[in-house]
Amino acid sequence: MSHSTLPDCEANSTSTLPEQPSVLVVRKHHFLVRWSHWLNIPILLGLILSGISIYWASPIYQHKPDPNTGNFDVAADIGVWICAHVPGQHHYSSPPDWIYNHMSLGPGMLAPALRLHWLCAYSFMLNGMVYVAGLVMGGNWRSLLPRQTDLLDAIRMLRYYLGFPFAKLARRQWPHPLFNTKYNALQRAAYFFVPVAGFLSVATGWAIHKPMQLHWLAALFGGYNAARVWHFWLMWVYILFVVPHVILVFADGWDTLRSMVVGWSTRVERSKVVVNEQ
Amino acid sequence: MNNDGKGDSLQGEDTPSTGVEPEVKSVSVKNPQSFFEERPLPASEMSPRVLRYQSRRDFLGFGAGALAVLAGAGFLLPRDTLSRLGVRRNMDFPGKEWFLNKALCIDDDVAEALYSVNRSVPTYTKSQITPLKNNYNGTTPDPGYIPGWKLTLDGLASGLSISLDIRNLLTSFSVHEQITRLVCVEGWSAIAWWAGLRFDDLLRTYPPMSQAKWALVESSVNLDASGNPDPYYMSIDLATARHPQTLLATHFNGRPLTVDHGAPLRLLVPLKLGLKNVKAITRITYVVEEPRDYWAERGYSRYDGI
Repeated sequence: MSHSTLPDCEANSTSTLPEQPSVLVVRKHHFLVRWSHWLNIPILLGLILSGISIYWASPIYQHKPDPNTGNFDVAADIGVWICAHVPGQHHYSSPPDWIYNHMSLGPGMLAPALRLHWLCAYSFMLNGMVYVAGLVMGGNWRSLLPRQTDLLDAIRMLRYYLGFPFAKLARRQWPHPLFNTKYNALQRAAYFFVPVAGFLSVATGWAIHKPMQLHWLAALFGGYNAARVWHFWLMWVYILFVVPHVILVFADGWDTLRSMVVGWSTRVERSKVVVNEQ
Repeated sequence: MNNDGKGDSLQGEDTPSTGVEPEVKSVSVKNPQSFFEERPLPASEMSPRVLRYQSRRDFLGFGAGALAVLAGAGFLLPRDTLSRLGVRRNMDFPGKEWFLNKALCIDDDVAEALYSVNRSVPTYTKSQITPLKNNYNGTTPDPGYIPGWKLTLDGLASGLSISLDIRNLLTSFSVHEQITRLVCVEGWSAIAWWAGLRFDDLLRTYPPMSQAKWALVESSVNLDASGNPDPYYMSIDLATARHPQTLLATHFNGRPLTVDHGAPLRLLVPLKLGLKNVKAITRITYVVEEPRDYWAERGYSRYDGI
């Protein structure tokens, strides 16, 4: 049996399984961070689907009613446009409902949508607290803080990502910018501002949910109607974040994806670990 | 050497009962300089067997979680949505309504906890008034009911049933004005100029029976979309009814209420969603237990505090 009291340099030679060399791993994500990370998928999906059903009842973006159809909802116009221009949608039965039928619980479902939205909203707040607790307990909150050098580094990363496909096509070398932190500057900005957006979504949500008791909160966002607009556009932050997030995690490889399930990574070289030379 | 124990953090994890102890090797790290500076990730040497065991455990755990979430989604989503997704089977379990109502109850409790008789809703100036549409749920009633209109009060401490006409109300109570926002459950809102008597004054003049906690506010003139009688009934807790900004409104924009805004008397309770603001009230009954509520029976909240 091996014990950690043995000299570090001899750890391998005293293993009970000498034919299997041990693997150096780093702890990347606290288990509370991992669980709350994955729970965000169903919770945000529920919030967005029910949220667009709530939006249907009184759309933010309206125009004067169309003299022929009486329609005033911009989202219905987009549905009509999709059915007219997207192949395979020409025979869609109810073009004005296209958006609501594809991106929400459905039109005319305000009561079930509200109930589901409250359920998911309270879950989202709880989950957010679990996430923050995991960041604090794991100590990884420090990796998310913005730095002074981030703006330049973010531009370098953006240049790398945008140039990557062309460099691949041209079979040119395209070196990854060097950094010795857990995340690169773009990742750090994303992982910092998405929780901020989560906080703002909750704050604007309360502002429009309790506009009388919490009228100071609504006033903070420019009043009740403006808070509704904030709440709507904050939804797009998650949608716009998720697309590159998922593409890049698959591009980065199995180790990165696995680390959000198991917590550890074998990419030791990416953390500035200094092995003690005795 | 500054082994701070960080590298050993894996050792505390539940080790497999297979008799294989994790191979842990501490790696010392540079001393961090500031409180906000990023720390190196704790590194350790693990035997592949332990890593495999832990990975299997974690993937099975997360897989079980994913299945539970899928089952939960099938359990909670409305039937219309599921059939749109191609789920033909009826997924309505007996506990579904109960569970979703529970979430609604928690939210109502939060709204009730936020209520304070001393907290006023914002008021506005006349220049901030916005148009208010006629939002009668069904058909706007024929104004023929107005001349013979009477307000009936039941559940009073006196045990009597009292009938008042609009002249009685306007002469025996002082009229208060307010410009407040009416917020609809659908999301739209309107700032309007109201005047009327305080519900609180009515409660003082005709006190309800001592144990009463609720008022059932009814309108018998309400019609459904095809013009058939569809009496409207709303519950309101007496705490909110006693709020100084809760009016029994008689005037809108400086004029007596028109039929589309609930002539001759409507409830104006800015602390609740618009659907609680009953138009053309014909009866108020004070009760002990929470009474029935038109929109709560249709899946909306009961308390509707905002």
